[in-house]
Amino acid sequence: MDDLENLYQTTYTAVVRFLYRKVWDADRAEDLAQEVFVRALRHRPEKPRAWVFAVAANLARDEARSAIRRKRHLTLLKGDPGQGPTPNVAADDQVEHDERLTAVHGALDTLSERDREVLLLWDAGLSYPEIAEQTKLAVGAVGTTLARARKRLVEAYDRQHSRDHAAYS
Amino acid sequence: MTVNIRETMRHIPEEELHAYLDQALSRAQCVEIESHLAGCAGCGSLRDGIAALRDRTTALLATLSPPRGFTPAIDLLQERATARSARRHHVRRAAAWAASIVFAVGIGWWANTFSRPVSRPVARVAAAVPAAVPAVATHDAPDAAPDAAPDPIAIGSALTGDRAVSRSIASTATPRRAERAPRLVSAPTMDEPPRAELSSGSLPSSDFESTLGGMWRTLSWAGAQHERGDSVPHIDGLPVVEVQVGQAKPGGSRSIMVVAQQLASGEVIRTIEGPAAEVSELLGSRPGSTSPSSPWPTMDTPGISGGDGAMAMRFGDRMLAITAQLPNDSLRAMMRRLNAEMRAK
Repeated sequence: MDDLENLYQTTYTAVVRFLYRKVWDADRAEDLAQEVFVRALRHRPEKPRAWVFAVAANLARDEARSAIRRKRHLTLLKGDPGQGPTPNVAADDQVEHDERLTAVHGALDTLSERDREVLLLWDAGLSYPEIAEQTKLAVGAVGTTLARARKRLVEAYDRQHSRDHAAYS
Repeated sequence: MTVNIRETMRHIPEEELHAYLDQALSRAQCVEIESHLAGCAGCGSLRDGIAALRDRTTALLATLSPPRGFTPAIDLLQERATARSARRHHVRRAAAWAASIVFAVGIGWWANTFSRPVSRPVARVAAAVPAAVPAVATHDAPDAAPDAAPDPIAIGSALTGDRAVSRSIASTATPRRAERAPRLVSAPTMDEPPRAELSSGSLPSSDFESTLGGMWRTLSWAGAQHERGDSVPHIDGLPVVEVQVGQAKPGGSRSIMVVAQQLASGEVIRTIEGPAAEVSELLGSRPGSTSPSSPWPTMDTPGISGGDGAMAMRFGDRMLAITAQLPNDSLRAMMRRLNAEMRAK
C-alpha cells in the first residue's frame, strides 16, 4: 500500500466531511471527494495531504459558484436526501437534532470566510503549517485565527440556541 | 512558532494555549508551557477553558457531518484516473494532428498564393464554358419554345452612357426562368466575384460608333421594350446590363440594337440585331476580329456562321449576331437558342 492509498483510506471520510460543510449536499460531497482522489492518483503530488484539501477547497468553491449561477442553493434541512431522519432517533429527538443542525449551520455562516476555512481545515485534521500554506497565513497567525473562530462559533451558536428556546417558551 | 515564556515573568497568551492544545508546538515549547502551568493557577484555568471551548467546537462541527457512506475501493478511482489519462493523451494526439494539418494547409495556401501567376478572367471563363453549353443546348428542343415568352428581365436602374459606372441589376425572372439561369452559369468555377463593369467584351465601343458614322443611344430595358416591343434581341434568363441603339436610317427600317447581358462569371454577351450590312460592318470592325475575309452569312448562305468570338445568322436583309469571348461551339449553341426564342415572339 503506497502513501497515496494509505492517505485515501485515512482521509477520504474527512475530505467528504470537509466538502459537505461547504456544499451542504452529501451526495455531491462524495462525488467531489472521489474527484479529488482521482486527480491525486493522476498527479501524484509531493505533499498529498495538503494537496488533497487544497483541491477539495477549490472544487467546493467552483461548486458554490455554479450553484449560485443555477440558483440552486441547497439548504441543510430541505431538499437534501442525505439529511433524512437519522436511524434510531425518535421523533422528538429528531426535532431537537434538526434544530441543532440549523443552529450550528447558522453559527458557522456567521464566521468570516477565512475564519471558517481555518476552522474547517483544522477540524479535517490538517496541521498548522498545512493550514498556513493553504490559506496563505503565517504559521503564527493560525493559532490566533483558530482561537477567534472557535470563540465566535460557540458564541454564535449559543445566541442562536437561546433565541430558538425563547421563541418556543 | 516562537514561544518565549518566562515562568515568573508573564502569563501564556491565549493563542499559544490553543496551539499547545492543538499540538502545534515543538517539544521544547511544550516543556516551557507545562512548567509555567504547573505554577500558575490563572493560566491553568485559562487552559481548561480553552480545552473546553476546543472540545465544544469539535462537538458542534461533528453535528455537521454527512451520513456515513461507504468508502469506494481505490481501484475504482485508479481506473477512472487511468481512463482519464488515456483520454487526455488521445485528445492531445488528435490536437497535435489537427494542428499539423492546419499548418500544412496554411503553408500550401501561402505557397499557392504567392506562386500562382495572375491569369485573366476571360481565359478561365473560356475554359469553363463547354460545361455550360449543354444546358443552353437543351433549350433548343421543341418543348422549349413556349418558354420563350416575353421577357422577364428588367434593369433595376436606368443605364447611363458611362460604361465605367457599376450597375445594379434586378431580375424578375419567373421561377422556371430563374432556375434556368443558374444552369447556364453554374458550371464555371470562379475565384473572383462577378464584375459589374462592361470591360470584358469587345463590342460595342466608341470605335464602332465612328465606324457606323452615327450616334449610339443608351436605353433602359423598359425603354428598349417600349421602342421595340418583344423583338428586343436578348437571351432569356441572363440579366441585361446595357441596351444601345444605333442612329435610325432613312427608309424607316429598324435601327441596329445591341443588348449586353452578363454571366455570373462576369463575362459579357452581346446580342446584335439590325440591318445585315450594319451588323456585318460592326462585327468586322471589332478590335479582336482577325479574319481577313468576311465569314458572316449572306443571302445565299443564311445559316449560322462566324468566328473570332462572334456568330451570326441572317434573316432576309437583317442579321442577328452574338459576340462573347467564348468558344465557337458555345456561341453556335447560344445562337440556336436565340434563334428559337426570336422566332417564338
